[in-house]
Amino acid sequence: MVNPEIALAIFFCSLAVLFLGHKLKIWSTLFSNREQARKALIEDVLKQLFHVEYSGRSAGLNDMAGALEIVDNKLVEIIESMTLGNLIESSRNIIQLTPAGRDYALKIIRVHRLWEKYLSEKTGIHKSEWHDRAELKEHTLTSEQAEELYQELGSPRYDPLGNPIPTESGELIYTNWKPLSSLNSGTRATILHIEDEPEVIYQRIITKNLHVGSQLRIIESSEHQIEFYCEGNVYKLSPIVASNINVKELKKEDSFEESHVRLTALNNGENANIVGISSECRGVNRRRLLDLGFIKGTPIKIEYPGPMKNPKAYLIKNTLIALRNDQAELILIEKE
Amino acid sequence: MSKDKSKDILEKASSLRWEVGDNFHDKLTEGIYADAANISQRVEIKEGQGDYSFDRKLDRILTSRGFGFPIMFLILSVVLWLTIQGANYPSGMLATLLLENIHPLLKQGVASIGMIWWLDGFLIDGVYLALAWVIAVMLPPMAIFFPLFTLLEDFGYLPRVAFNMDSMFRKSGAHGKQALTMTMGWGCNAAGVVATRIIDSPRERLIAIITNNFSLCNGRWPTQILIATIFIGALVPSGWAGLTSTAAVIGIALLGVVLMFFSSWMLSRTVLKGEVSTFALELPPYRPPRFWKTIYTSLIDRTLIVLWRAMLFAAPAGAVIWLVSNIHVSDGSLANWSIEYLDGFGLLLGLNGVILLAYIVAIPANEIVIPTILMLTVANLNMMGLGAGEGVMFELDSSLETGNILKAGGWTLLTGVNLMLFSLLHNPCSTTIYTIYRETKSWKWTALASIMPLILGFVVTFLVAQFWRLLR
Amino acid sequence: MSEDITKGCDTCLFYNSAQLKKLGVNVDNADHVVALAGNPNTGKSTVFNVLTGLKQHTGNWPGKTVTRAEGGYSYGDKQYKLIDLPGTYSLLSTSEDEEVARNFILFGQPDVTVIVVDASRLERNLNLVLQVLEITDRAVLCLNLMDEARRHGIEIDERTLSKDLGIPVVPTSARNNEGIPKLIQTIQDVASGKIICKPHRIKSLPKAISKAVDKLNTQIRNAYPDLPNSRWVAMRLLDGDQDVMRALTEGEFQSLEYSEQG
Repeated sequence: MVNPEIALAIFFCSLAVLFLGHKLKIWSTLFSNREQARKALIEDVLKQLFHVEYSGRSAGLNDMAGALEIVDNKLVEIIESMTLGNLIESSRNIIQLTPAGRDYALKIIRVHRLWEKYLSEKTGIHKSEWHDRAELKEHTLTSEQAEELYQELGSPRYDPLGNPIPTESGELIYTNWKPLSSLNSGTRATILHIEDEPEVIYQRIITKNLHVGSQLRIIESSEHQIEFYCEGNVYKLSPIVASNINVKELKKEDSFEESHVRLTALNNGENANIVGISSECRGVNRRRLLDLGFIKGTPIKIEYPGPMKNPKAYLIKNTLIALRNDQAELILIEKE
Repeated sequence: MSKDKSKDILEKASSLRWEVGDNFHDKLTEGIYADAANISQRVEIKEGQGDYSFDRKLDRILTSRGFGFPIMFLILSVVLWLTIQGANYPSGMLATLLLENIHPLLKQGVASIGMIWWLDGFLIDGVYLALAWVIAVMLPPMAIFFPLFTLLEDFGYLPRVAFNMDSMFRKSGAHGKQALTMTMGWGCNAAGVVATRIIDSPRERLIAIITNNFSLCNGRWPTQILIATIFIGALVPSGWAGLTSTAAVIGIALLGVVLMFFSSWMLSRTVLKGEVSTFALELPPYRPPRFWKTIYTSLIDRTLIVLWRAMLFAAPAGAVIWLVSNIHVSDGSLANWSIEYLDGFGLLLGLNGVILLAYIVAIPANEIVIPTILMLTVANLNMMGLGAGEGVMFELDSSLETGNILKAGGWTLLTGVNLMLFSLLHNPCSTTIYTIYRETKSWKWTALASIMPLILGFVVTFLVAQFWRLLR
Repeated sequence: MSEDITKGCDTCLFYNSAQLKKLGVNVDNADHVVALAGNPNTGKSTVFNVLTGLKQHTGNWPGKTVTRAEGGYSYGDKQYKLIDLPGTYSLLSTSEDEEVARNFILFGQPDVTVIVVDASRLERNLNLVLQVLEITDRAVLCLNLMDEARRHGIEIDERTLSKDLGIPVVPTSARNNEGIPKLIQTIQDVASGKIICKPHRIKSLPKAISKAVDKLNTQIRNAYPDLPNSRWVAMRLLDGDQDVMRALTEGEFQSLEYSEQG
């Protein structure tokens, strides 16, 4: 019989190797394709340049190396071959896209945003993972596949974060938004877009549970902190986080519904009417809620809070429907 | 020509969709409901809001913080107790009838017509005995469990259970209704897998299907009880033996629940992450069940269908069991050779070759694992005067005698404990595997559901065995 | 002349047998195919069992029948094939159940679609009814669970309901066998063309939406003049329904252009 010490040692060692190999990405590098990796790098450079130009800035070699996290000499080699391929042109220390390069970049961005839209509508992948998955997918999807995806998704105009999706011919809807951090106290606005890079800040925004499409009112805005009211809650964000949320200021004639709160704010015994479902509730989930009768104007109340207060059973159109709190978070109501 | 027309239409649709924007579906549904509200206002004559006071009163108790869970556990215990106690007697009767009365009669019958010995053994000792065992062990508990369950279902209580339990299941990425499919699994995993149809969310349904095997099913309870009585009950003074072995069996069943939660949690975060996940749970009005009709239909619909499926799989298994013991290669039967071959791996897991072979040939039905183990042990040791012959499964009336045979086969307390663990953690029976395929229509998920518990079983028994030996 | 008459009689089979075969329904001995649709938990399967005499289990559960159940009965000198579709809240979402139900009503073209609703919760059930009525114009509303509705103090004005929906309404309580003979008779009347339905069409759509629907509908009508549910097809296309798109490109709608005149 095998000595137990040896058997256990072999078992735990192989476990450790598997785990470390996964953590250090040894398995994925072992099977990756060099040709593919080079194409991805070129496309990343194009995309990065496009974003820089779109925001009205210009980029040099150093900015690129920093943003893409690659070593200088490799980047120089790539830039040279891209210049030869007429995708970019550089003068003095500034790199610019050629028209062909801009078209290429828009195609990649189109695939990226379509894929994020796909993940949000047709899969159960959590939103914190959309970006990274789209980063991988954008390099592998052909334009025919992208077109098919576009049709399947019902010709969407925006990705789930509020970014416009470039059309097939490379047109991009002009976005008229500004960062939340730039608003003055008392301003009212609608969230149009949430930036998913850098990831650390995006994760903070996710934990705050803010949704594209929500209306908000700035209570106080200073250089240390932005405090605002949104759908029944008061939020406090640091300017660096707030600058990753883009909004459109409401005009005087636009209505701002201070009384629209989330269904989670409904207490036992209170009556309310549904005013809508947040744009954050997507795909089958949204359709299911609509089918069940969660429609604008429908009266709703809590019938049983349930033993654990989650899910709660709501009475709607004479039927008891149990919803989890994270679903209730996405339904807007107005209390009576 | 029509191709062009279709293309035009699609293009037009695409451009119109762009104009309308992303909220077409919302507006359409709102429009339909607006029409529905108009019509129903014109035709509904209500006295007040509709009187649901009985439903509401009952629900306030059944979903309350104080009473919700106790009532649930009480009802579940009563159902399980009725099933186990109530099944004892008919199971014994069926076993006596099928194994002790009909089996010898059949043997005599074929002897009198002079059937060739191997055909007799193959059909009567192999196929017939396997079927008889499956029926005797499986039919009575299922015929009690399923109708009781169905009565609760028809009354409308089960959705309340799902409502109460959802918060626990949510944390492991599962659906509250999985509480019910899990409970169904204690009756029969195949039935539990079919019952996952009530879960309408794709990800949560797959989780419920794949983890259903962690519910200790009907075919495995007797194994657990027997082994616990022989090996664990013997550890304590005889007065405490019954209680201790019962606790051990319940412990294994609870371990199954813990592993079900754990693997649900793992699955929802790894392989099943991409599947769509939704939640909606309607609590329908209570309806008085029609007692006899429910019992009749649940017998037809669930019990007999599942039993029939199990028999279809058990019959060939019986044949295989008989064959491996009776086909001889040089100086040993196939069974002897396989046991020798499997022994090394078996010992590494704290089991032995006999157990592994029994689990391989008895994939179709957990019910025949113990009879197969006994038969193989006796045959392998060449114990004279014991057993019923090569390839003939048998059970003994007293657990003491059974224990003696097993101990003669080299079994220790470790073997017993690990057999209990392995009985919980191994691949689903082939009826269940087939049912999983039918429900998921995917080889991928079927393979995952079959192999994952087996690997878990290997790991757990391996660790238990090695630490056991290390610490002794 | 006499040949024409027999041919004319053949066309009282409205259903599309080729499509039905594709959907896995054997229609060899049936004169009429009847589909049973309805929300979950409306006693739809009980209605099915009462009509066919089958003992299918019906639980007090939303969404019991995931796969389709089939059965048959005869009435008068006609054989009826009854298909129990999965219980769904809607036909617009993309769940598997809804696809089965929707594809059957759309491509299988049953002679009659019986929509079973819970009389005590009419408003929510009408969501599905109105959708079905966009697809087919031969439908019967089975106002089930009347006993329960009465117990909860709810009554329904059936005549107004029938007028508003444009289809016959039969109140039943399938558990107690109430109203079933009337239901069977009404199914026959619709199947044989004795009752002509004028189904309700969805009205309360916002201007922009209904304009887009109308535009697309006109174009579909031009391409397929005999398609009975072109407006619904237009709605599905605007909603990005993959099945309907595929059916369109693969030319399946041509086979759907049944002509009621024969």
